[in-house]
Amino acid sequence: MNNNPLSPHIQIYNWHISSLVSISHRITGVINTLALSLICFWVWILLFGNESYEIVFNFFNSFVGKFFIIGFIWSYSFQILSEIRHWFWDLGYGFELKTSKITGVLVILGSIVITVVLYSTRGVLF
Amino acid sequence: MVQINLPKKSEIKKGHYYKDKTGSKNIRKVNIYRWDPATGGNPRIDTYEVDMDNCPSKVLDLLNKIKNEIDPSIAYRRSCAHGVCGSCAMNMDGKNGLACTKPHSEIRGDINIYPLPHLKVLKDLIGDLSTLYKQYESVQPWLKTTKKISDTEHLQSKNDRSKLDGLYECIMCACCSTSCPSYWWNGDKYLGPAVLLQAYRWIIDSRDEDRKERLKKVADELKLYRCHTIMNCTNACPKGLNPAKAIASIKKMLATS
Repeated sequence: MNNNPLSPHIQIYNWHISSLVSISHRITGVINTLALSLICFWVWILLFGNESYEIVFNFFNSFVGKFFIIGFIWSYSFQILSEIRHWFWDLGYGFELKTSKITGVLVILGSIVITVVLYSTRGVLF
Repeated sequence: MVQINLPKKSEIKKGHYYKDKTGSKNIRKVNIYRWDPATGGNPRIDTYEVDMDNCPSKVLDLLNKIKNEIDPSIAYRRSCAHGVCGSCAMNMDGKNGLACTKPHSEIRGDINIYPLPHLKVLKDLIGDLSTLYKQYESVQPWLKTTKKISDTEHLQSKNDRSKLDGLYECIMCACCSTSCPSYWWNGDKYLGPAVLLQAYRWIIDSRDEDRKERLKKVADELKLYRCHTIMNCTNACPKGLNPAKAIASIKKMLATS
């Protein structure tokens, strides 16, 4: 059996909404862990006074910094919405193909909406 | 273990091209995965031009036509041709299904046919399912009771019987298990949707007296909890069953018992 080839898998298999949301749930989980560490680092650096605060301030106002912030907001909103979907699954609801497709799309669209709302209201709401 | 790329000797090469000889104007290209243990080497994709004017509606008809009229060397499993036996499970157009129930008119562009994903290939479209059958055996898919054997049936209320609906219809074609990424990466330890659905079929059966033991046996980090609700199984099932829900029901029983 050692000479028998392995049939192709991820190379040929179609993506569905559900599998896409599932892998994104994992990826955003990793991103969120890193992001939390970064936020801790940011809080920690505030202890060193004005100058170090300015470094962080300038970073978050740069293009790359803004990309990071928007990325974090999206990643968190996606994870939370997807987690809510998982709660319903754990209770035994939402397994029908149609329902899971709709909730999957809702998670994707919802995370984008939340990102836009939160980012555009920064400085107003918080 | 997650291994995205295929091993070197499993990489797919370009194969032969069989040009249409009928002169038909209604031609479709069919790409089929080929590997012959007699010659060995790397697997290849052979392309066949098929006259669609004289071809019945299903993918299995298409394969039969190719085998009968173009290339008799091609190997695939088939038996009932009515979606009951589960023999002709394969990957068509990037999705697992039964060739005998899948209309080729649903596929746009070239028709790509592969064996079920992430299996050792025995020949062409035939994958080795012996691991899955061993796992099936491990859930002891038979009625366990301490009652003495009697001449009468094991009676069951209508309500209890209805709990088996959506489970007993499973034909063990392996479309679901081989569509599951968790099963691809951990197929030696994770039981996979097909076997877990079967396990649940016996757990929920009111006549079975081994429920506690069955639940205990399946409650395992790898055997059961490798399911992350990716839902590829339910998407793939050609019988319209819901293995993802069956697995969730086992998890729920374990969490609430």
